[in-house]
Amino acid sequence: MIKFKHESLETNTGLLLVATMLAISVAGMVEIAPLFLIKDTVEDVPGVRPYTPLEQLGRDIYIREGCYTCHSQMIRPFRDEQLRYGHYSLAAESKYDHPFQWGSKRTGPDLARVGGKYSNEWHVQHLIAPRSVVPESVMPNYPWLMENRLDYADIGARMRALRAVGVPYSLNQAEYERNVKQFGAEMAAQLHIPNARESLIAQVKANNYDGDPSFVSEMDALVAYLQVLGTMVDFSKIKPEELVKYR
Amino acid sequence: MSALLDWLARPENAKPLGLVILFTTFCLIVLWVYGSRRRGERLERYKHIPFLDEAEDVKDAEDGRATR
Amino acid sequence: MATITATSPSLAASPSLAVPQYDYDIIKKFAVMSIVWAVVGMGAGVFIAAQLAWPVLNFDIPYLTFGRFRPVHTSAVIFGFGGSALFATSYYVVQRTCQTRLFAPGLATFTFWGWQAVIVLAALSYVLGYSQGREYAEMEWPIDLLILAVWVAYMAVYIGTLMNRKQPHIYVANWFYLSFILATALLHVFNNLAMPVGLFSMKSYSLFAGAQDAMTQWWYGHNAVGFFLTAAFLGMMYYFVPKQAGRPIYSYRLSIVHFWALSFMYMWVGTHHLHWTAIPDWTSTLGATFSIMLLLPSWGGMINGIMTLSGAWDKLRTDPVMRFMIVALSFYGMSTFEGPLMSLKDVNALSHYTDWTVGHVHSGALGWVAMISFGSLYHMIPRLWNTQLYSERLVNVHFWVATIGVLLYITAMWISGISQGLMWRAFDEYGNLQYSFVESVAAMHPFYVMRTIGGAFFLSGMLIMAYNITMTIRQGVRAARAPGAALAVA
Repeated sequence: MIKFKHESLETNTGLLLVATMLAISVAGMVEIAPLFLIKDTVEDVPGVRPYTPLEQLGRDIYIREGCYTCHSQMIRPFRDEQLRYGHYSLAAESKYDHPFQWGSKRTGPDLARVGGKYSNEWHVQHLIAPRSVVPESVMPNYPWLMENRLDYADIGARMRALRAVGVPYSLNQAEYERNVKQFGAEMAAQLHIPNARESLIAQVKANNYDGDPSFVSEMDALVAYLQVLGTMVDFSKIKPEELVKYR
Repeated sequence: MSALLDWLARPENAKPLGLVILFTTFCLIVLWVYGSRRRGERLERYKHIPFLDEAEDVKDAEDGRATR
Repeated sequence: MATITATSPSLAASPSLAVPQYDYDIIKKFAVMSIVWAVVGMGAGVFIAAQLAWPVLNFDIPYLTFGRFRPVHTSAVIFGFGGSALFATSYYVVQRTCQTRLFAPGLATFTFWGWQAVIVLAALSYVLGYSQGREYAEMEWPIDLLILAVWVAYMAVYIGTLMNRKQPHIYVANWFYLSFILATALLHVFNNLAMPVGLFSMKSYSLFAGAQDAMTQWWYGHNAVGFFLTAAFLGMMYYFVPKQAGRPIYSYRLSIVHFWALSFMYMWVGTHHLHWTAIPDWTSTLGATFSIMLLLPSWGGMINGIMTLSGAWDKLRTDPVMRFMIVALSFYGMSTFEGPLMSLKDVNALSHYTDWTVGHVHSGALGWVAMISFGSLYHMIPRLWNTQLYSERLVNVHFWVATIGVLLYITAMWISGISQGLMWRAFDEYGNLQYSFVESVAAMHPFYVMRTIGGAFFLSGMLIMAYNITMTIRQGVRAARAPGAALAVA
């Protein structure tokens, strides 16, 4: 047997390097790599779909403004959270989130299921001047969201980048038909990259999120995103206990 | 082989096994480091390295020598 | 001047005077910048703390809102102040313990300008709204590439210097710096894998999504704490505490166990940031288990540092620089006890998402990271400029102001964090939630004010340090220019 001396490490830069690298790599291999290999990490839940072009741009604004520094999007399986926010979050619900926005701090409330809880008008008013609807709030005012035109010139490029990392936006007929099967014809049309601008404008026209039909504002996009949060999965049809095993 | 892997894949087996392996390794390392007086003395010599850094610094060099 | 004559005989006698024994230029640059970034970053911290107490301070200006400014604070203190202090001290320690000059000084200069550019670009990009939306890794892809370039250069300089060493043994401080450099490279690369929207677009999308993205991010996030803010600063501790105390580290064998256990175990614990979320249960349990075990090496390191002073405890009374170091180690011990506690699933159920986490981070960041850096900088800067500290009394004032600041800060966050957690889960007699969310927000106001005051204390201490160091450097520069000094060196 070779006699081991700690000095061999202390006097040899290369050995010390290799040994240190080994020590710090084991954890990643044992703990993180499996999450990418095991299918069960993200359960398959009907209803979860990629964001529409408008919602995705709203999400990009959510990230730009750093909303995650104060709001989480991850409801834990406790009674109080269920009463306050709704059903606990499933991994599948953020499977198209690049990057995830689970957050780590609740200076404000969780937003994982905020969609549909308030009217569009409430969101607009609250984002422009939070204290006009919630006097004790410490949230900044975001008046510029209402004034800024939404920049959707590069929406196609954004969707293509997302497609490259695995979001099923469609570029060709075959992918479009696959989406028709999975998400329905109406949604598949919105997820089709060549149609992105038209479907974005159509979604704004149909919903007029910010109450100002004259132009597409950043407010339109952000409210569209907030209103879809947590609404994709229909928990009246899905049995949570069947999903629990994945947690 | 696959039977062994199946056995390992179950958390109720992998957990205690991992614990035993890690804890044994830790104990072995501690034993190795503290086990022998001679090895200990040898290893402890290197703690004076920071005091050898001034080419001719009388004070620091003496510090190093004095405790050596 | 007395200070010069104390050290110059040895220098005058040195045969290699044409080329100084060590390369200090690059260290001086980094040391000064670490103080500049500390002032900027802590100033930003006090500002955003005040915003949470008085939201009117957001001024309805997009560039100044909390959401965009918070990453400015974290990046400026972690990468600006902490990073520059680590570059400075690592270049100092590696030269002096290897008794050789820096390898590839040109590359080292590149690490300086590159790193400063990273911090400036990062801060500018955040306020302009470019963010990856990943905590502590908000820099968008072009900045990430620059970081990578700087890091590769840093690695080359550091390892090159190690290989050029005259001293056969690599001192323990260097192991910690080395593992910090390696781990940071690993973490940075994997956590920032992203697909840019276009070659000329700042925007990118993470390669991973949802649960996997969360795992990658917190594997990074916690190890940024583990290696950037702990291992590296332990390297600092292993050199500067013995030097300042004038006695060798308590136990070299303990440091061997400390190093390997810490390097191995830290990487496992990131999942404790994701307890009760939609990740598989086993990863979360694993993270908690390792977090508990991590207490052993952490406390081993703390004991090793503090016991270095055994037999010379009077230094605590007489030497304010030493006091910074020992109090830093005490905060290190405290937060590495609090951390495992908070990683227990049941405690975490209460503490997660609350200010308790913020308080915990700051007891580590202000109490440990900042204080050990202050101690080390106070030790190193006079030696770089071949002079003495301008005022030891001001160091003492800084010490007390900073300590009061940390205590105010973490007390405020303990109270507000625990009350938030309790208010959120309180039920009335009918089984309904007792408080609305916003009631918990309103109840936090006094503690947010208290936290701002604590932060302001800490910042004032920092300003005192900046003044003291400026005067120290001026004094050193002036003495070096004086005719007498020139003669002594010539």
